[in-house]
Amino acid sequence: MKQVVQVRLQRYWDIRAAGNFSFGGTGSGLILASALGFLIGVPSVLAVATGLGLIGLGLFCVWLEIGRPWRAINVFFNPRTSWMTREAMLVPPLMAAGAAAVVFDIRFVLLAALFAAGFLYCQARMLHASRGIPAWCQKETVPLILSTGLAEGTGLFLVIAGAPPAMVATACGIAILRELVRELYRRGLVKANAPAGTLAWFSWREEKLLTAARWLAIVLLAAALAGWNTAALGGLLAVATGWGLKGMMITRAAHTRGHVITHTPARGRDPSHVVIPS
Amino acid sequence: MTALEARDTAARKLVPTLCYNCVAGPDFMQVIVEDGVATGIEPNHSAAGVHPGAGRPCVRAYGLVQKTYNPHRISQPMKRTNPKKGRDEDPGFVPISWDEALDTIAARLKDIMSRGLIDEAGLPRVAASFGHGGTPRSYMGSFPAFMSAFGPIDFSFGSGQGVKCTHSEHLYGEYWHRAFTVSSDTVLTNLVVSFGSNYEVTGGVCAVRRHADARIRGVKRIQIEPHLSATAACSAEWVPIKPKTDAAFMLAMIHVLLHETPRTSLDIPYLRDRTSSPYLVGPNGYYLRDPQSGKPLVWDEKAGRAVPHDTPGIVPALEGHFTVSEAISHLADKEVARHENAPAHTAFTAMVEHLRRYSPDWASAICGVKPDKIRHVANEYVSNACIGQTIEIEGRTLPLRPVAVTLGKTVNNGWGAFECCWSRTVLATLVGALEVPGGTLGTTVRLNKGHDNRLVSVVPGEDGFMVSSLNPTSETDWKAKPTGRNAHRTLVPIVGNSAWSQALGPAHLPWLFMDKSPDEWPKQRAPEFWLTFRTNPAVAFWDTAKLTRAIAQMPFIVAIAYTFDETNHMADILLPDASDLESTQLVPIGGTKFVEQFWEHTGVALRQKAVEPQGDARDFTWITTELAKRTGLIEKYNAAINRGAIGSPLKGKNYDFSLPTDQAHDPETIWDAVCKASTAALTDGKEVKDLAWMKEHGYFVVPFKRTDWYLYPSLADQNLRFELPYQERLMRVGEELGRRLHAQGIHWWDEQLSEYQPLPEWHDVPGRWVKAVVAAGKKPEDFPFWGITTKTMFYSAGNNSGVPLMHEVGQNVRGHGGIILNAGVAGKLGIVAGDWIEVRSIVAATRGRAVPVQGCHPETIVIPGQHEHWKTPFAKDLNFPSLNTVTQMSMELTDATGSGADVVRVCVRKVEGPGKGARP
Amino acid sequence: MTRYVMVADLRRCVGCQACTAACKEANGTPIGVQWRRVLDIEVGEFPDVKRVYVPTGCQHCEDPPCMHVCPTTATKQRPDGIVTIDYDLCIGCAYCAVACPYEARYRVDHPRFAFGEEPSVSEQARFDEKKIGVATKCTFCVDRIDGGCAKGLTPGVDPDATPVCVNTCISGALAFGDIDDPDSNVSKLLAENKWFRMHEEVGTAPGFYYLWDKEAPL
Repeated sequence: MKQVVQVRLQRYWDIRAAGNFSFGGTGSGLILASALGFLIGVPSVLAVATGLGLIGLGLFCVWLEIGRPWRAINVFFNPRTSWMTREAMLVPPLMAAGAAAVVFDIRFVLLAALFAAGFLYCQARMLHASRGIPAWCQKETVPLILSTGLAEGTGLFLVIAGAPPAMVATACGIAILRELVRELYRRGLVKANAPAGTLAWFSWREEKLLTAARWLAIVLLAAALAGWNTAALGGLLAVATGWGLKGMMITRAAHTRGHVITHTPARGRDPSHVVIPS
Repeated sequence: MTALEARDTAARKLVPTLCYNCVAGPDFMQVIVEDGVATGIEPNHSAAGVHPGAGRPCVRAYGLVQKTYNPHRISQPMKRTNPKKGRDEDPGFVPISWDEALDTIAARLKDIMSRGLIDEAGLPRVAASFGHGGTPRSYMGSFPAFMSAFGPIDFSFGSGQGVKCTHSEHLYGEYWHRAFTVSSDTVLTNLVVSFGSNYEVTGGVCAVRRHADARIRGVKRIQIEPHLSATAACSAEWVPIKPKTDAAFMLAMIHVLLHETPRTSLDIPYLRDRTSSPYLVGPNGYYLRDPQSGKPLVWDEKAGRAVPHDTPGIVPALEGHFTVSEAISHLADKEVARHENAPAHTAFTAMVEHLRRYSPDWASAICGVKPDKIRHVANEYVSNACIGQTIEIEGRTLPLRPVAVTLGKTVNNGWGAFECCWSRTVLATLVGALEVPGGTLGTTVRLNKGHDNRLVSVVPGEDGFMVSSLNPTSETDWKAKPTGRNAHRTLVPIVGNSAWSQALGPAHLPWLFMDKSPDEWPKQRAPEFWLTFRTNPAVAFWDTAKLTRAIAQMPFIVAIAYTFDETNHMADILLPDASDLESTQLVPIGGTKFVEQFWEHTGVALRQKAVEPQGDARDFTWITTELAKRTGLIEKYNAAINRGAIGSPLKGKNYDFSLPTDQAHDPETIWDAVCKASTAALTDGKEVKDLAWMKEHGYFVVPFKRTDWYLYPSLADQNLRFELPYQERLMRVGEELGRRLHAQGIHWWDEQLSEYQPLPEWHDVPGRWVKAVVAAGKKPEDFPFWGITTKTMFYSAGNNSGVPLMHEVGQNVRGHGGIILNAGVAGKLGIVAGDWIEVRSIVAATRGRAVPVQGCHPETIVIPGQHEHWKTPFAKDLNFPSLNTVTQMSMELTDATGSGADVVRVCVRKVEGPGKGARP
Repeated sequence: MTRYVMVADLRRCVGCQACTAACKEANGTPIGVQWRRVLDIEVGEFPDVKRVYVPTGCQHCEDPPCMHVCPTTATKQRPDGIVTIDYDLCIGCAYCAVACPYEARYRVDHPRFAFGEEPSVSEQARFDEKKIGVATKCTFCVDRIDGGCAKGLTPGVDPDATPVCVNTCISGALAFGDIDDPDSNVSKLLAENKWFRMHEEVGTAPGFYYLWDKEAPL
């Protein structure tokens, strides 16, 4: 017998949580891009500072969301298993290294990038560890969050610090990679029989527009490689579409697993039946 | 020190008490009281071996704490300041003192007493209505003694019928086998065929526990009903059926037993010896009787001749056609017909031949169930009956027939209910399963005496049957003039005239007659004084708009009021009574009770004051005593208590706890005496437990014999028969009633008279509701669906609709506050879950959110519960629909017992929102 | 060792929500918070339809994802398998709520009461400000278990040491006890009947078992 599984959209994490993943993702991506920029001869203090600011903004969003903000310090208590703790623990060294890069020596950006990479990875693993939400605990979530963070970071770098061809090429390449990962992610969800509400995400008009915008970002970045003055616009679009993607992933596609039974009970002399979720 | 005592501290204690908020009770519970505040309810685990529900109350009990501390409670007496009454009138209630309230009421009553309790039309000037199935009696303290002292009161204004009552079962069940309500012997049965009995919702904790145990044991329950209720859910099979076609299904089952299975599969000795099957029926349809003794004749196979049924040593023929040389028959009005060489057949043969036409193929076209499914159910029934098997209970060997047929409320109400009751009971007799272990049992009696043990009512009567007290229909004794506004003695012979009879008459007729009296009927005036307690007919009855207008015509209403509600909106005086956890009363428990309370103990339990009343609410016993004092009835009132009006008589063989009659007693004194007398009565005076003892222990019981669950042994011991299958007496009574009514020029009851048949004829039962649409000048095709209702456990009879906890947990169950319809049908109508839809009948419309489900017959929509409140705090903001709003209240849909059903033809459409709520 | 588990016999449960209501009252949970509740699940298509009542709540998983994700260590697991929340540590990030595959966790930021903003005296008696703004869930009535055990009572057998929902259940569907004790009621039920646990694929090893049929006799 078929069970139409009743799921619901999680409401615990709202646009404020999405803000952390968006700003934190872009910020950490931007610091990584700044490190790359430094290595290819385009150092940008402003980019590093912006990256730090975005990470701080993201954390502020989270602070606004938690139920007991005045004991937020407790977030550091579980590095053993919690990716949220780990994410939080990377923030002080990241901020310190970033500040050093801004204030003292831009070379500290390499150290900051190390922490930023960890921060971004923690964010990805944080979502992946959310086993109540199929849209998040899909295995392709980690590459998706990483690739979009990098796409956003490199894209924003193009806006802030100019568009050296190597960075444009990197941004374009990562944007394409993000698109590939996003498609793998979608297929993974379909294969995993994710909730209908989650899968419906991919047919929403907003998602179709976003997808078009992501492709437009790729086209604009490719056009910039061909000499057109579209790098900044492409970069900006890469950022905005990344935020859109995560915003939807966190607040609108995040359906629960629902409650699934495997058998109907035998009521007296009634034989039980195998139940197939649909 | 017991574990429970160890848990009591100075600040926290557990108070044993009971819940009797529905007819499936009472059930034990304990109130957790912390610093004088009730904070929770717990089961009374110490009663697990006594109470068949393991000492646990149902979900509603957990709402009693919120009920107690509801800030919307009326906390002091109030009076109306706006003389105009109506839904749109603000009553202008203002607080008054208890003295002013009681003096006002007493003055009214004394005025009535001075002018006579009966008005010019012969009807009581004072009326009273109480809610759900007599359960308010367990909350009204000593008020029954006041009513007894006062004199005639009209109890006929019904609080609601349909979903709250198994009306036809009450009347026919008690007539045939002392079964005010009917149950399967769940602890032993192997198969239950249930036509809509909603055990898992309305059976109370005892039924739920017994059926759950039975499921694990391996019982098979086949649930036949239009929608997949919780009971259908917990059954082995669900058979969707069109509403009001159950009788066709059951007649077809009997057909299968009589025409498609060998006779050896029936319980021949049972039919021959314990039923009227062998009685000989003459050519005029009446029994052929012995000319000398007047006793019905049977054909003795040994002697080859007709002899009186109780002739020793005979072997009556179960079936066959015979010629009887000399006999008489008793016709209507004591007319006697004489017969010579008369052709005769047995009652059983009459049934066999009558049922020939009702094949499964015939029924299939009516109820929408495939013929093979009907045959399957019938064959399961026969094959599980274990004909010939016995069981020993308490040293007595009894037949074991582990099959039962039970009926739900809509099946048991209105047209078609007689046929269903007859078929169910006959199905039981065919396999010898009526009133034997494992079979179909009655629970208790209300129209007969013996509320504590129905077996005492098994006394020989006419024709080898148990005695039955029908209302007289003879020319001399028939009550041409109604003595109550529902005319139960005039119109419904089978309801009798015991203390409960009036309330079991045609409960909606008084309301209908307030609107318009029928032809040749005395014009009825509204009662001058109407008292209501734990009832809200303005929501709980049909055609609520019409009913609300009728209530507004009542000149003086005293409402014992918990919060404002739709009925007490019309009241003149509101009196706040101490509620469930705040007042004291001794309540009988044990024995066999509605709905599935089969105990191995009997006794009394105390509903005690666990916390002080909120506001200035007072114990109902205090209110009553004050009224008795102020109306000058104190002596009669005390005498009534002494006589046993609120428990056991206070004086017995070995004890005397009588109260002095010349003075008012406080509630504690009264209940102390009742506690002592009741416990003494249970033990022949050997044990006397006072109020203090009862407060500590909660209940007192003595053993109740398991064999007393079954009527069969008493019948067998007295060589009596069940008056089945042939209804000779009812046919005669119907004929007499028709003559009486016609002599008065009354013809508006003729359809109802057609129900007095010796064997039921199918008469297109569902078609009556379609005809009602046509009669209203509308097109049947415009109302293509059946609207029905169902209860939910959270709102047994609606009296806790203002308790938020019930609403919250109710939301976990589908359909709560919504309108259930078949998902496929919803799809065709473009309706998705949560859409607002409107259900409209020829009466009115109601709106709610759609709940499309697979488990609903495509021709049916279901509106659970009784809601659409417009005054009750909290409930009024829920915007819930109600079938009552759209259900017709009419004479044409009233059956011979005076009942109607929660059934109505409706249409459904999608709408924008809740609209104007209950307004038609 | 002791490992406490809950067993729900789906053959018995009638969906009456007595456990839900009793749990709410005993634990003073706010409007909308139901540590124990019973789902009403429909399977099949007309006319071959079944409804199944499924008690649910915190499954006290052997490998609880809520505990792993908790950044504060507020969520802990006791040696007897009961998963607890330290309300003084929890920051109310709700990470545990999205990590729980069973929708068992709640967070209420603003107290709401049955009849509005103000608590009744009974609600006031049960109100615990500590539970506002933090994660809450079924505790298996751990206070009753500990209190009962301290008096020498046996959880799942003696009502005073048993979760309220089990005590309340009118159909006898809920049972509680130590699965590591082969003679316990739950061990016997699981040995004698077929059972499943929900979302086994997630790997949480829940401590909540659903009986659906008797084991075929050997």
